[in-house]
Amino acid sequence: MNAQPNPPAIHPRAGQPLTGAEVIVQVLADEGVQMLFGYAGGAILPVFDALYRHNATHAGEDGREPMPLVVPANEQGAGFMAAGYARASGKVGVAIVTSGPGATNMVTPVQDCMADSIPLVVVCGQVGTAALGSDAFQEAPVHHLMGACAKHVFLVTDPARLEATLRSAFMLARSGRPGPVVVDCPKDVQNAALRFHGEGELALPGYRARLRRSDQAALSDAECVAFFEALRRARRPLLYAGGGVVAAGAAPALRAFADAFGLPVTTSLMGIGAVDTRAPLALHMLGMHGTAYANYAVEDCDFLCALGARFDDRVCGAPDRFAPRARFLAQVDIDPGEVGKVKPVHWQHVGPLARALDRLTAWGRAHGVRPDLAEWHAHLARSKRDHAMNYDRASPLIQPQAVLEAIDRHAQGRAIVSTGVGQHQMWAAQWLAFREPRQWLTSGAMGTMGFGLPAAVGAQLARPDSLVIDIDGDTSIRMNAGELETIARLELPVKVLVLDNGGDGMVRQWQRLYYGGRFAASARPGRRRDFVRAAQADGFAWARRLDDRNALEQTIAAFLAFDGPAFLEVAIDPDACVYPMVGPGASYAQMVTGPHIASREAAAPLAAAGAMF
Amino acid sequence: MPHTLSILLQNEAGTLLRVAGLFATRSCNIDALTVRATDDPSIARMVLEVRGDVPALDRLVQKARRLVDVLEVEQSPP
Repeated sequence: MNAQPNPPAIHPRAGQPLTGAEVIVQVLADEGVQMLFGYAGGAILPVFDALYRHNATHAGEDGREPMPLVVPANEQGAGFMAAGYARASGKVGVAIVTSGPGATNMVTPVQDCMADSIPLVVVCGQVGTAALGSDAFQEAPVHHLMGACAKHVFLVTDPARLEATLRSAFMLARSGRPGPVVVDCPKDVQNAALRFHGEGELALPGYRARLRRSDQAALSDAECVAFFEALRRARRPLLYAGGGVVAAGAAPALRAFADAFGLPVTTSLMGIGAVDTRAPLALHMLGMHGTAYANYAVEDCDFLCALGARFDDRVCGAPDRFAPRARFLAQVDIDPGEVGKVKPVHWQHVGPLARALDRLTAWGRAHGVRPDLAEWHAHLARSKRDHAMNYDRASPLIQPQAVLEAIDRHAQGRAIVSTGVGQHQMWAAQWLAFREPRQWLTSGAMGTMGFGLPAAVGAQLARPDSLVIDIDGDTSIRMNAGELETIARLELPVKVLVLDNGGDGMVRQWQRLYYGGRFAASARPGRRRDFVRAAQADGFAWARRLDDRNALEQTIAAFLAFDGPAFLEVAIDPDACVYPMVGPGASYAQMVTGPHIASREAAAPLAAAGAMF
Repeated sequence: MPHTLSILLQNEAGTLLRVAGLFATRSCNIDALTVRATDDPSIARMVLEVRGDVPALDRLVQKARRLVDVLEVEQSPP
């Protein structure tokens, strides 16, 4: 989470006359913003001009600007850069765009951040207040559009409220369940002559009352007793950790809790990295494309505790048949609206995750809780071995999983990885190791193709010393391919890997399964994009295509070792599928593990072992 | 089954739209609606009559409680 900036009691600029635009820039600086993503246009020019002057007058000895601006190819890129920055750093991402198309191009990143609970503040220019609703040039109903998808949107029509509004936007974005907040700012408000206060937020009585309630919520002794009574009775307990663990900075608390009682952990797509994926009791991802052993563990468990996870339809496509043997379901979340929303639970707590987990760990330790789970651990270890991830290792074609294995050998679970959406995203989720949270950046709930490239830009800027890899697909990367040029222009050492299967692989996989193999809209006959030449044209000094599986290791090594932006397109088996797969609306018992991963049906002795449960 | 919801919200432009939008998203028609400023002019009370089953309505109430400018949502039988 953001360290709350600690402003002095009286702001040094309090009482000074500033324009609205200058107020905006000053509040950004006060909020600790160190990086901005944005695109100029008529209705936001006063803000960019004020930013320019701020950066010019506050530049360091070395000429470094306090709030450098990164300009993308498209406003959507600015939004996803800010989102990637926020995901990789835990700070609020900030994007500034103009009115009309600038703002509407930002709708997708805002919805994406809402769906994945990512803190983002967007400042949009808007036509002057007198022109609002007059169909003016570059006017769009941002308040309506964003109101439906942001955590909150403000249309600032009273210049006197601008300062408190922008400060409140940051509070809203980072507090409670984080999310995107949009401040729609008419041009005359940016030009208004104001007096800077240096303090003050909007009242927001309802929100603050709810926030106080959840911030103060503490687990009672009785609640701890009930939790550990159920855990004592359990023989096969399982923790299901979601993106909330990452968002709340609760990964250390989760690891301590799981370690204290020997509890195995499976994570949702958004929860990857909450525990070290290489740990013995880490089962990796569950769900539609989860590991077979994670999904079998969900089938087998008799106690399931969801932590910052919301049983979404990619995890829990058939709620009534999810975790069918679980006699006790528990859920901890910061959002009361998520508790019991999909799956009724026996035990719940609404409040900050880290505090709840610390309290449970302390209570359990103090009361000598030490469940004997040796049999369950042994069962899971067998399951991880017998139902291990696997793929077609004999194929003459390059298998995407082999590419990821090669990446993993070099990255050792330390890289920050962003992705597009589709098969490559699922393979990356399944095959790469992650030691820490905030290394795995993916558009989980919205599933926005084109997320990977701009998110990698934001991540690399947030963590300049980390290896940042965008693992993308040939169609996902097209959606925001303009940002290749941004990477080269900024000389960011991002590694861009395109797993090229010549089309929309995941769509084809579904069409093969559910639409009789009719590849409507997903087949791309005819001329193919020359990605390498495109990357070269955009300024990538290192850009290669790999077709020969024998050159895989050395190519990946050279790609990752290159000191600067690098682009690698790998021609993969176009028919490779993502397995395991739990079909939409299906239960885990109906999981298809594919031709290379042993299912319980295939492994008779294990099926018998499974039947024990 | 008809239900009456009473919602306290910040008395500002745009808040009605946000609340009404929640019901529209779930295809829940609002049969009757009044909005009035309370004794505190910064706060308005909205009273809605809607039909729907209890789980669907509970979900809408939870969603409404997430809105930043909503203070309270009460559900009462008609």
